[in-house]
Formats: sequence, structure tokens, C-alpha cells
Amino acid sequence: MSETPTPLRLRVATVTDDADRSVLIRVSNGELIALDELYERYKTMAYSIAYRITNDATLAEDVVQDAFLGAWRNAERYIEGRGSVKTWLLSIVHHRAIDAVRRRRPTIELPEFEAVPPPALRAPDVWSEVAASLDAVEVRAALGALSDVQREAIELAYFSGLTQQEIADRTGTPLGTVKSRMRLGLLAMRNVMTMNDGTSMSGPEAEPR
Amino acid sequence: MTDQTPPLTCDEIRDLAAPFVLGALADGEAEAVRAHIASCPELHAELVDFASVLPILAASAPVLEPPAGLKVRLLAAAAADLAQAPIVPAAQIAFPSASEREERRARRFSSPGTWLLRIAAVLAIGLLGGWNVLLQGQLGEARTYEQSVASVLDTASQRGALAAILRPAEGHGAGLAAVAADGSVALAMRDLAPTAGSTVYEAWVIAGDGVPRPLGSFTVGTNGTAYFEAKGSPVEASLILVVTREPRAGAQTPSLPIVSSGTATTEG
Repeated sequence: MSETPTPLRLRVATVTDDADRSVLIRVSNGELIALDELYERYKTMAYSIAYRITNDATLAEDVVQDAFLGAWRNAERYIEGRGSVKTWLLSIVHHRAIDAVRRRRPTIELPEFEAVPPPALRAPDVWSEVAASLDAVEVRAALGALSDVQREAIELAYFSGLTQQEIADRTGTPLGTVKSRMRLGLLAMRNVMTMNDGTSMSGPEAEPR
Repeated sequence: MTDQTPPLTCDEIRDLAAPFVLGALADGEAEAVRAHIASCPELHAELVDFASVLPILAASAPVLEPPAGLKVRLLAAAAADLAQAPIVPAAQIAFPSASEREERRARRFSSPGTWLLRIAAVLAIGLLGGWNVLLQGQLGEARTYEQSVASVLDTASQRGALAAILRPAEGHGAGLAAVAADGSVALAMRDLAPTAGSTVYEAWVIAGDGVPRPLGSFTVGTNGTAYFEAKGSPVEASLILVVTREPRAGAQTPSLPIVSSGTATTEG
């Protein structure tokens, strides 16, 4: 949280991070009560995203249980990393939900997903806890920064579990275009976030286009 | 999309960063990206940058609460992990075996519908504290506690019962509680400071109206464990159980701080 000009909110959020991490250390020691705590903190986030992706209550429950069990079993390995616990959990839930959705489609087979974040995502902690204090306005502003086609590409990937090639096929768009829609869309959202972080603590006047 | 993707260059990683972060790469490609960043000295900040957007995307999903039963299933599965941990051979575990408990349950209930008992059994083992108690040779304490837990389980396994894990507010006094459909309450706790003189622990139940009702009091000896039963709890879909330390029995309002508390819910 030091060398680069980190947005204010990202620095504030490290308090949650520290608390999360100490819970995770207890989880790695096999304390069920700590797992209970971790679950209480993030069950809503986990279940909401799992349900959004699977659109199936039973499957979503399986995904969430699986994800937290993964966290329970891999907590020790995770602690060596320095990313935020929340984003780590989020990525586990997302991976498993996508995995479940893809398994449901008979044509595609997936191997086991790694329950450990890739090293580059673990390294610097500049993006932890962005959503910790997010409100609906900010979410809308960030999503509002997307053009329709960018939003379509991003949602088909993140929420529907389609690969970029499948998105290209489905939307009749060249693969390169799909790729750049994703890239530009993510950049646009990120810019809105940074703007809000830097300039408005009370009410974002950021105009969603 | 080939499964055998050749090693990727840093430029290719930058090109694939957005779809990778969004989970939109085919398996072989995603594997290749992971392999690259695992060994690449470059930080690849674009990955971190793009990933920072994901919580916002996730937050755009409609907010849904998971069913209450999910937590119990999760904790049970996690506790089953502990039970399989190689550190302590199963033979050393003094807790009644799963089959014994199943038998008892079968005798009492013809309906196979409730899995709570099985789950609570592994939970209870976990609550012993990651085997520390057993490892430290405090078998007496462990046995007393486990008998208490077994009694709570009997209550928890009844149809329509609520169960709660009681968590210490300040490090000491964990346990398990159950409220039966008839309002009877059973509570097992360990790691409590012993009582002396007129000091007691008081159990409270808080229903939807938010008013703490005293359930009764109990004392704790040097082994720190307690088993407590009471009747007359209100019965609602969700109850909060609280334990406080009181200077004498008969308190009508709880003294702070809370020693231990938990929310009792039914199984979904």
C-alpha cells in the first residue's frame, strides 16, 4: 500500500484484509469456528455470484460449499500469498461455477480447476477489497462505462462461462474483436473505479455514459 | 484450440490478459497463461489491473442469501476432513462412532429425513478444538464435553429443532446448543472459566422481539465444561442464544460482556 499512488479506498480496505487474513490463518490451523466466520463474511457474495452463473439453486449451493471447502483445504498455501482473501474467494467461486456450468454442457470437458490463484494475481495487493464498500451507484457507474458490445462480451464470459472463441461464434464477431471488447471494457470499468476512488468520497458524480 | 499450446511470450500474455481474467480461455490456453506467470519474472500488472474490476462485476449479480442448511453442510464436510486427519488415529477418538450415533438415531426416529445428527456429530468433534484437547491428554475434559455434546445432539436431532454453534466473544467458551420444537434447550460448553461463590453462568434466548429471556443458570468446575438444560424457550425460525456471567442466579437482564453466543436456525 505504499509506493504507487494508491487510491484512498484501496488503502482503507486493508483493515478488512488484515482481519480476513487472521481468520484465514485460523482456518489453516483447522479451526472450524474460523471457517464459520469466513463463511459468514462472504456467503452472500459467494452464493449470489454462484447463482448468477449457474442459475440453479442446487448447483449454486454445491459450488459455494465446494469453494469454501477448497479454501479450508488450501488456506495454508494461500497465506503465503498477499492478495486479498475476498478476491481469492471470489475467484474460486467463479472458477467453480463456470466449471459447473461448462460440465452441464455436454460438449465441453474441463479438468479440475486450481483452487489457488495464479502467482501474478497474488502478488501486489493494489486491488484488494474494491467491492468492500461498493454501493449500487458505483456498480452502475462502472457498468455504465461499457458499450453494449463490450458488456455483452464481458457478461458472456464472466457470467455465462463462454470461451472467447464461443463468444465469437455466437455473436458472429471475429475473435480479435471479442478480445479487444473485453480488454477495452475492463479498462473502461477500471477507469471509472479509479476516478471514483480518487475524487469523490461522498457521492460519485461520475456520469455513466 | 489445441491442448498443447506452445509456451507464451509476455506479449501474448498481455493479449490474453482480459479473457484470462474473465475465465474466457479454453483450458489449454488458460494453462499456458498460468504456466507463464508462474515462471515469468515480469509482474504482468495488466492481469492485476483487469482482475481489480472483477469484484464490481460480481457485485452486479443480484444479491441472494444462501439457505441456512448450506453452512451446516459445509462445516460438516470440513469437520469430516479433520476427522480424517492422520494425526490422530480414529481409535483414539472417544466420541461415539458414526454408526453408533446412526443406530441411536434410527431407534428414535423412523424418518431418515434429518441428517443434522450426523453432521452435528462431526461438528462436535471439530469443536473439541482441532484435537488439541485429546493431544494434550485432557481426556477427562474431552469425555465430559463429548457426553454433553451427545445430549445436545439428541435434542438437535428432533424434528423441528434448531441448532447453534456458540462462539466465545473473547476467546473462551465455545459450545453447541439446541432448541427443540417444544421449547426445551440443551447446551454444551467447554473452555469456560470456573465459577466460584455465588457467580453463575446464565443462558439467555433472544427471539424476534429482541428481548433477552433468562433460561436459567449453571456453574462450571475446574474442567471448564458445562452441560445445561432448560425449558420454556420461545420457538421461532431463528433464535439467538447467549451466555453471560452473572454475580448471582436469577438475573433478569444480562450483564455484559457476553461470554458466548450463537444463532440457532433450522436446517433448510
